[in-house]
Amino acid sequence: MARSLLRHPLVFVTLAFCADASAEEARQWLDKMNRAVEDLNYQGTFVHVLEGTAETLKIIHRNADGRSGERIESLDGVGREIIRQDNEVQCILPDRRVVLLEERKDISPLVSSLPGYTDEIEPHYALRLLSTARVANRAVQMLEIKPRDEFRYGYMLWLDRDTAMPLKSQLIDDQGVIVEQILFTDIDLHSAIPAEAIVATIDTTGFTTLRPPESSSLAADIPWRAAAVPGGFKLSVATQSQIAGSQYPVEHLVYSDGLATVSVFIEDPHTKSEVSEGFSKMGSTNAFSLTLRGRKVTAVGEVPRQTVRTIASSLVTE
Amino acid sequence: MTEQISDQTSAFIDDELPDEESAFLLRRFERDADARGRAIRYTLIGAALRDELSPDHMLLRRRIALAITGAAPPAQRAPSRWRSRWVRPLLGVGIAASVAVASIVGLRALNDARVGSGNPGAASSSLPLQTRAADGPPSYVVPQEVADAPAVAPAVRLTNYIVHHSEYASRLSRTSVRSNVVGAAELLPVTQQEQQERQQPLPQPPPAFKRGTPPE
Repeated sequence: MARSLLRHPLVFVTLAFCADASAEEARQWLDKMNRAVEDLNYQGTFVHVLEGTAETLKIIHRNADGRSGERIESLDGVGREIIRQDNEVQCILPDRRVVLLEERKDISPLVSSLPGYTDEIEPHYALRLLSTARVANRAVQMLEIKPRDEFRYGYMLWLDRDTAMPLKSQLIDDQGVIVEQILFTDIDLHSAIPAEAIVATIDTTGFTTLRPPESSSLAADIPWRAAAVPGGFKLSVATQSQIAGSQYPVEHLVYSDGLATVSVFIEDPHTKSEVSEGFSKMGSTNAFSLTLRGRKVTAVGEVPRQTVRTIASSLVTE
Repeated sequence: MTEQISDQTSAFIDDELPDEESAFLLRRFERDADARGRAIRYTLIGAALRDELSPDHMLLRRRIALAITGAAPPAQRAPSRWRSRWVRPLLGVGIAASVAVASIVGLRALNDARVGSGNPGAASSSLPLQTRAADGPPSYVVPQEVADAPAVAPAVRLTNYIVHHSEYASRLSRTSVRSNVVGAAELLPVTQQEQQERQQPLPQPPPAFKRGTPPE
């Protein structure tokens, strides 16, 4: 009966239309989430779980007059902190007694060239709305994002029904294993956040501060390109960047498929690099480093290991 | 929390810690707000992972506070051999610990969780994304804290690259990338498997791959 129904052209067209409508609605949820994480004021506590460890972190995000600031601090472990405010990113590493200062990039027009959640991601991810549920005492809409190959991770998202803020998210590899989970245990989405909340809480007296050198002339043309990139990854940014603690600028390429991003850093030949060759990772962020033509090349991204290796290993000069 | 305290807590949860040491551990929790705070956070983690924070996510905190002051619900009462001079605080911590145990079971289930079977993470699979429950009886293990992990302090340069990269990451991924920097203060050494992988040829690129001039 069901089979004969499916053979009916009208039923087939209706089902196809419903699938398209679901994907379109899923994209709209993604777009709404994209705005929510940046535009809303919120503070909360979330649990970050990966590889058998769980850590509690606190996040405070403030948006005032279109300018956002954010502080993320670890409530366990070594108590690191990241503060993004105005044009600066400050990363405090008490375990190393180091403060890293970086120029904040997402207010520059460079980032606007990153792909959005358009139908361009469809060939590489399948989007599907699932059921509703509750997280942190709030109604959520579940959204599944499955990769169509092994070069990117999938996501399961629990988005707040009112604001689309992700209250729970899972990063899932191609074998279906949950690589990482982020889960809010409490969140306040509507409070006004004072500017004083986005300041460092760690006393950095005696810490070494590493900051980028004073702006020097940076090359406009970057000759390096990855010769082999997984489908859907496009070159979004090619620039020279000043890196804290290094007197030489680093060439920086950014490849993105709209959801996942891979950065490739090519160090100046005069730099004495401290990044070891081969694979490394920090949490769920994978890195692969090798030496090409006397340059240390390091690719990092929230993608599987083979993706950073493939991209880094294929680097050529044009 | 030191490794010794973790071991003691684990033994305490298993009801294998001698009375004298149990009393010592309780006194530690009484005077060490940090350790007590961690214990409460563990309960939150477990409750959150088991979706038990709703409808009233503060209920757990209130229950623990109530238990520590001596008004534990009957179902949570400790075995009779614990009815000693420290039974009241022990009972309170015991409840907190039992929730922490549930957290660990939850964590374990989460870390073992797979979606379906075979290659279900790929979009071709029709299986819904679901985590499976832990099989078999629960094993009581105190969670390994990041500070206790045999971590290799990450190279500052790599940390710097990842901080730099986070500015370009999609908004979906930014919190994750930054959490990796702030929370997972470990740079995992290259494993034997990864060494072997490195010797293998690169994965066969799918048709969508772009090919340029190979590197010299």
